[in-house]
Amino acid sequence: MLDKPASALRLRERLLDSERLMEETGCYDGITELTLRNQDPLKFETLHTKLRAYCVSAREMARRISASPGVREVGEMVVAIYTPEGDAIALSNGIMVHVHTMSRFIKWMIKNNYEENPKIREGDIFANNDAFIGTVQVPDVMDVVPIFHEGTLVGWAGAVCHELEAGGITPGGDVCLAQERFTEGLFVCAEKIGENDEIRRDYVIRCERNLRMPIYWVLDEKAKVASCIDMRESVKQLISEIGLDYWMKVSKEFIEEGRRAQLARTRQLTVPGIYRGHTFYGHVTAGKPGFQLLGDPDWLYNIPIEMEITTDGKITMDFEGTQPWGYHSMNCTPAGMDGGMFVTLTQHMNFEGLVNDGAWMATELKLPHGTWTNPDNEMVATATSWALLLPAYGVFQRLLSRGFVARGFVEEAFVGQVNSPMIEMGGESQYGTPFGMAHFECAAAGSGALAIADGLDTAYVGWNPESDMGNIEVWEQSMPMVYIGRSIVPNSGGAGKYRGGCSFVSTWLISKTSHLRLHTSEHSSRVFDNGGMCGGYPAPTCQKHRAVRNSNIHELAAKGEPLAHAPGIDPHVSDYEKNIGGEHVVVEGPYITSPHKSGDIFSHSYNGGGGYGDVLERDPIKTAWDVENGYLTREAAIQVFGIVLKDDAHGYPLADIDATVERRAAMRRERLAKAIPVSDWIDAERSRVEKADFAPEVKKMYASAIKLSSRFTKDFSEFWTVDAKSIFMPGAKP
Amino acid sequence: MTSYSKEVLGDLAAGKLPWPQTRRIMSAYKDDDRFFKMVAVYQDRVAWKDPILLPVSDHLFICQSGDKRITRCECGHSFGDYRKNWKLKAAIIVRNTEEALREIYPNSDIPDPQWMEIREFICPECGTMHEVEAAAPGYPIVHDFEPDLEGFYREWLGNPL
Repeated sequence: MLDKPASALRLRERLLDSERLMEETGCYDGITELTLRNQDPLKFETLHTKLRAYCVSAREMARRISASPGVREVGEMVVAIYTPEGDAIALSNGIMVHVHTMSRFIKWMIKNNYEENPKIREGDIFANNDAFIGTVQVPDVMDVVPIFHEGTLVGWAGAVCHELEAGGITPGGDVCLAQERFTEGLFVCAEKIGENDEIRRDYVIRCERNLRMPIYWVLDEKAKVASCIDMRESVKQLISEIGLDYWMKVSKEFIEEGRRAQLARTRQLTVPGIYRGHTFYGHVTAGKPGFQLLGDPDWLYNIPIEMEITTDGKITMDFEGTQPWGYHSMNCTPAGMDGGMFVTLTQHMNFEGLVNDGAWMATELKLPHGTWTNPDNEMVATATSWALLLPAYGVFQRLLSRGFVARGFVEEAFVGQVNSPMIEMGGESQYGTPFGMAHFECAAAGSGALAIADGLDTAYVGWNPESDMGNIEVWEQSMPMVYIGRSIVPNSGGAGKYRGGCSFVSTWLISKTSHLRLHTSEHSSRVFDNGGMCGGYPAPTCQKHRAVRNSNIHELAAKGEPLAHAPGIDPHVSDYEKNIGGEHVVVEGPYITSPHKSGDIFSHSYNGGGGYGDVLERDPIKTAWDVENGYLTREAAIQVFGIVLKDDAHGYPLADIDATVERRAAMRRERLAKAIPVSDWIDAERSRVEKADFAPEVKKMYASAIKLSSRFTKDFSEFWTVDAKSIFMPGAKP
Repeated sequence: MTSYSKEVLGDLAAGKLPWPQTRRIMSAYKDDDRFFKMVAVYQDRVAWKDPILLPVSDHLFICQSGDKRITRCECGHSFGDYRKNWKLKAAIIVRNTEEALREIYPNSDIPDPQWMEIREFICPECGTMHEVEAAAPGYPIVHDFEPDLEGFYREWLGNPL
């Protein structure tokens, strides 16, 4: 009997029983004692290390099967091993956000009685990319295979790759034009896509017929299945060595140990209490072609977060007061929210010990029904969930960091991640064939600053801790564009005693195509969607897109004239406008426009991280180095940081310490002269609030938050001593 | 058990420790005696005598001042009861025009001041910038942190206040 479960209970009953035991005892699966760990801790740790090695090795092997530069170059993949009930025991490095979303997928199949139909048998392959079942967005396609040992289901092996093309209304996977799920791309909804370790031919045909670049998806499927089989066989071998009973017990103790380790780490690194923060996102689509008028075109999203750490070490994150879901692509499902929490914990708290689903079990998310975090409509699009997820979990990182600073672990404090505006494309490739691709160089933004050092330049994104922008030459093989520039964006790190990491900007010449569709997403240019900390400023907003249609670059090159390789440092007139002839275009928000062709130029900037500490404490020597190397402009050095630079004998910037001290003293005096008591500002601002004298999008944001949240309404009303409801929802019932 | 001298922790907090050493501290098991040692580092840094109970920002501390617990700036300025939002007792500069935002972002695209403003919370005595908020106009000032001071000392430090 291949589909016989490990115990007399059916899988579904076993899962419900496990949840009940957790509820009753507070411990995973009712494990109140770590018996095996206590009996032989060395064996316990060795086994977990082996499992982790299986995962890391399987992922590396699979990356070499994949055809996608996203997986091969940037590492957009993760694999994990699960209990029969779908709880992660061990995982690889990579896009760890999906370790818990896969857990949801497995549990969804169990709860929906897949044991009966379509049955769970040895050699089966199940796939999913439906975020309401368990993933974040359509391009995150996950495959799982059951692990049987002598006819008994003893676990699952799972793998996720982010696909570079998902067959949506626009090419790529982060389809910002998707306003409902029906335009996001090819859905695979917890489907059995293979049997006897072989992917079904009819499934492959469906992929080939519905994707712009099926080679990426299909070879990634093969890579994932190979990694799952590799892990499965390793686990089976391990079980034959340690025995089935030991495996079934130890695999669960690993998770309970992971849960306890997370609680202990919270108690070790933080301080109990209530932490609060917020961020915003501006979605601007008015007048852009392709967007249906299903709601207001422009949205301002507030994302307030209240985090509670209790004295038992539990972390609870509450999103009450945020905005409703909308007819846009930025909605997120609870699975995606879980994933964001999990990947953040793995980076900031679980850097030693057993990392698995136990960490997630030591936390709680409060996701208000009807908001973008937990839509009460499963038709919504989630193609660019990251647009809101990344800013939200950037706040989480700052809240945790407040705890690290308070506890004295300043080296762990980190101002957090930023959004990753992505460029995607499709149309006619440089080889004259149809193509589609997401460009994953966005996997290397600037990080937020640390509390003791500057942030990482072009080296961090929250969603892939192995951040890598990939090699130019590899990307050029895959798209009809060649790089004419890839450089640091000066001042892109938020200012502070320690500046945020800087981002980079790429400039491309479109080449050998008559039809190139370029689109971008996660592009909040109208408001900051990141923040600073302890006196540091946010990094700049997402920079606008700059393009040149019908450029004269070939003529300039033939004459040996100077070109432009980056937008430059004048926000009003770019270097493209100064140096290159043609039709210049500046676009705010997502880039949705008519196709480009050979000879056009397109540039895309990524985001830097927020700063930490007061700018007037920035080291002048470091600043001179920043200016010399293009991370900061001279203008910003003196104007923002109060650092006076002079030139050395070779014309390189040198900090003038005496003049800097003087300038900073003057700036401090200026601050004090300019600043007013907060109480005075509140009194003055109140009349503006009472009149709701705000932009329409701001008023709509308040009305939406008030409608959904009594707590937001109360907090707003008490802060301004006004009746928020009567101001923003006149005529509504009290 | 991992442990570091007060001097090493002082250099760490000041960002003066060589990076390889910092990196080792980041990678090593955490030192369980960190909190009180770091408090001692901060206590040496401030000119006032009130015992520091908890650092809450780069230059802000909750301290025991007589029979009261207050939030105090490194310069000595008191922001009052630690349970209240210290920002309400601060001085503020609000950047809500293109010109004012451009001062901080001279070479970049800037947000729309109709949608977003920057609020700088400053010590009214020494002018230190303690916190910066980026918020929509009209958004209530956020109360960043309400520590459970009693619970922390009693249950996590085993040293009730």
